[in-house]
Amino acid sequence: MKKNKIRLILITTGTILLLVASALYGYLALIKKEATPGGLIPILIPLIVIIFMMFFISKRYKDVKEGMPMEDERSKKVIMQASAASFQFSLYWLLAISWFEPFFARTLFGVEKLDASQTVGGAISGMAIFFFIFWFYYDKKGKLI
Amino acid sequence: MKNRIKEFRAKYDLTQEDLAKKVGVRRETIVYLEQNKYNPSLNLAHEVAKALKTTIDELFDFRD
Repeated sequence: MKKNKIRLILITTGTILLLVASALYGYLALIKKEATPGGLIPILIPLIVIIFMMFFISKRYKDVKEGMPMEDERSKKVIMQASAASFQFSLYWLLAISWFEPFFARTLFGVEKLDASQTVGGAISGMAIFFFIFWFYYDKKGKLI
Repeated sequence: MKNRIKEFRAKYDLTQEDLAKKVGVRRETIVYLEQNKYNPSLNLAHEVAKALKTTIDELFDFRD
């Protein structure tokens, strides 16, 4: 019980720090119009994580309050299957980024080529999105290996 | 794999939450178990049977 509370506090603290860092980055990029590496893409990754974490924390907070465990064998299996599936899809996503890089560069950033931070940011964003989609899918679907 | 968890749970007037707490799992796990959407590990099956004062054979039907 105490271990669950400590875990939840740590997760919440990490999420708040991420939110603060994203807000600061957004302030620099949008309000002060300072040149930020990778444009606004680096905000996308933390935003996805923050949205997911808000759902996760609110659900787990209720559970910890009621004395339920934060994770069990089924929730661990869901994460494992979601991780495996998102890893497979991420391979194709990385291939797509490398093949269609000029298209992404022109449509998203209006440049001829993506720089390293934009490419990496796009790759990680895609992997994060795939993971969350698969996490929801396996959690709701029920049937696990 | 079908099971009679809901039947035994009703017999002892336990909610899904009560059973989940007794067994040490999340409520969703009990929900999916009762809906036959999740196959428990042997350890979990044993814990659920113990909590419902029965045996694994009585609780779970392994026929396809």
